[in-house]
Amino acid sequence: MTPKEKERLIKRIWIVITYVVLIGFALVYLMPFIRSLVASFMTWAQASQYPPKWIPSPFTLENYEKLFRLELFPKWVRNTALYSGLIVAGNILFSSMAGYAFARLRFPGRDVIFSALLSLLMIPMFVTLVPNYIIIYKLGLIDNILGLSLLGLVNVSSIFLMRQYFMSLSNEIFEAARLDGCGPIKSFFYIALPLAKPALGAVAVYQFLGSWNAFIGPLIFLRTPEHFTLPVGLSFAFQRAMWTEYTPIIAGSLVASAPTILLFLILNKYLIRGIVITGGKG
Amino acid sequence: MPLFKFSSFYEKARNKEIVAGLVLISFAVILNMVFGYFAMIFAFFLSFFKWDYIGQMQFVGLKNFQIVLRDLSRGLHGTSYILAPFYTGLKNILIYTAIVVPVQTFLAIVLASFANQKIKGQQFFKVSYFLPATTSAVIVSLIFIWLFMKNGFINYALVHVIPGFQPIDWINDRRYLLLAIALVAIWGTSGHFMVSFLAAMQAIPKEIYEAAMLDGAGPIRRFFFITIPMLRPMIVYVVVLGLIGALQMFDLAWVMAGANGGPGGAGYTVALDIYNEAFTRIRPGVAAAKSWFLFAIIFTTTYLFQKKYGRAIR
Repeated sequence: MTPKEKERLIKRIWIVITYVVLIGFALVYLMPFIRSLVASFMTWAQASQYPPKWIPSPFTLENYEKLFRLELFPKWVRNTALYSGLIVAGNILFSSMAGYAFARLRFPGRDVIFSALLSLLMIPMFVTLVPNYIIIYKLGLIDNILGLSLLGLVNVSSIFLMRQYFMSLSNEIFEAARLDGCGPIKSFFYIALPLAKPALGAVAVYQFLGSWNAFIGPLIFLRTPEHFTLPVGLSFAFQRAMWTEYTPIIAGSLVASAPTILLFLILNKYLIRGIVITGGKG
Repeated sequence: MPLFKFSSFYEKARNKEIVAGLVLISFAVILNMVFGYFAMIFAFFLSFFKWDYIGQMQFVGLKNFQIVLRDLSRGLHGTSYILAPFYTGLKNILIYTAIVVPVQTFLAIVLASFANQKIKGQQFFKVSYFLPATTSAVIVSLIFIWLFMKNGFINYALVHVIPGFQPIDWINDRRYLLLAIALVAIWGTSGHFMVSFLAAMQAIPKEIYEAAMLDGAGPIRRFFFITIPMLRPMIVYVVVLGLIGALQMFDLAWVMAGANGGPGGAGYTVALDIYNEAFTRIRPGVAAAKSWFLFAIIFTTTYLFQKKYGRAIR
């Protein structure tokens, strides 16, 4: 074998190893989803068999029916959607306002206030959890989606993201608007906001993922099962053993994660890029 | 009417920029001041008081911190986990962090370097590795409880991959519960970090590699002497983020082990203990004291790490 042939052989072996590793791990990451998708159409008797079965027989929609026969489940879906909607709307509105002001306007105390907000990111949520529970309790908003939403309505990370974006815009367009007599608030609505669509989209998607999947907040601030969100509701259904079989829980998990998974699959190119840029707070 | 008043005030204002700026930030600042800074000061005071949320608050000095320290010393002397919950939680969370953070970081780097070649389907790999990060930890845990059952899929897969492997009752065996939780955490976050590393690797200038190749450096040396040093800020960032997440782990333990930490308290964590102190034992003062301990642990570990290896940058 000549050295050149040897090199080519090593390269080929290396490519094979690469694909084996990458495909193997793709299977590891995807398998729980594949397994639960298959099992959600099985009876529990079949889904709990060893060795595991791959083809549902009999094919059944019983698990999904059981899920929606539980009156609480549609309520959980609605509550989760309401909570996510409020969080997304609040963050889009208030973080773009604040981000614009921190990036583009000059007023006394601007930088001090901004760094005070940023340093809040260092505080673990468990430190402020009990006091916030008491504040919301005193406001009479325990067991209320509105009270829970109040806590996440303006996330510091969204403000940071919006500020970075507004800072990256060129100065000239704002200067031109100012010379035409456009005040700071007008130029926010007519110039900054229309230009900020990509950043607003990023804020919306991250906040949606975060609030749809949120657990500790809803667990503590929501008290009655009618007001639960999907993660809290499903863990409650599991711990109270609402079904004797496990398959409805699997079906419920799939329904609960479908919106975020679909959103990610549709937007994967933008999301992966964006998460890399902002460092990601999954 | 108030809107009208504001607009006339705004139009008349000598410096519109100041008024506009303060108005635009007001909502964000007020909310974050209340739920961030005020809550923090409140937590500080709370840790010196005995209270049951309803009655009079009673100043107890450092007693709440004493309770935590006594718990720790009892645990060190080998008392059962029920009498030393904070110690149990702390011990578990340190073991858990020591497993999860190095493994997920290492795995993410390895997978990213495999993917950082001229290969087909790179986007497919990124998407499938990233998918777990888009799903709630609770949902993931519920699915994994089923996969971890004694006659479940994970035992089946391990029996076929590792020769001589005996099926384990992961969730109900106190020796394996924490490991099972750690494996789920690694599964859930390593793919996300892999994508971050891949982006950082692709940002390394090609010229550096070309120069090294001219100097006769092989792929392994290029990896250790170029890729790893160039990735260092990203590695620090991923480790710091991993530490912050792992030390506060709550959701996975809540579902997989239960609020009391499962068999023998094997899945008990500091975060679960803070929750129980505040909402089951109704001792918000002790919960506040424990949360300051947790804060101190997170702060010192991330601070020491960044001091040694350089600051984490986004």
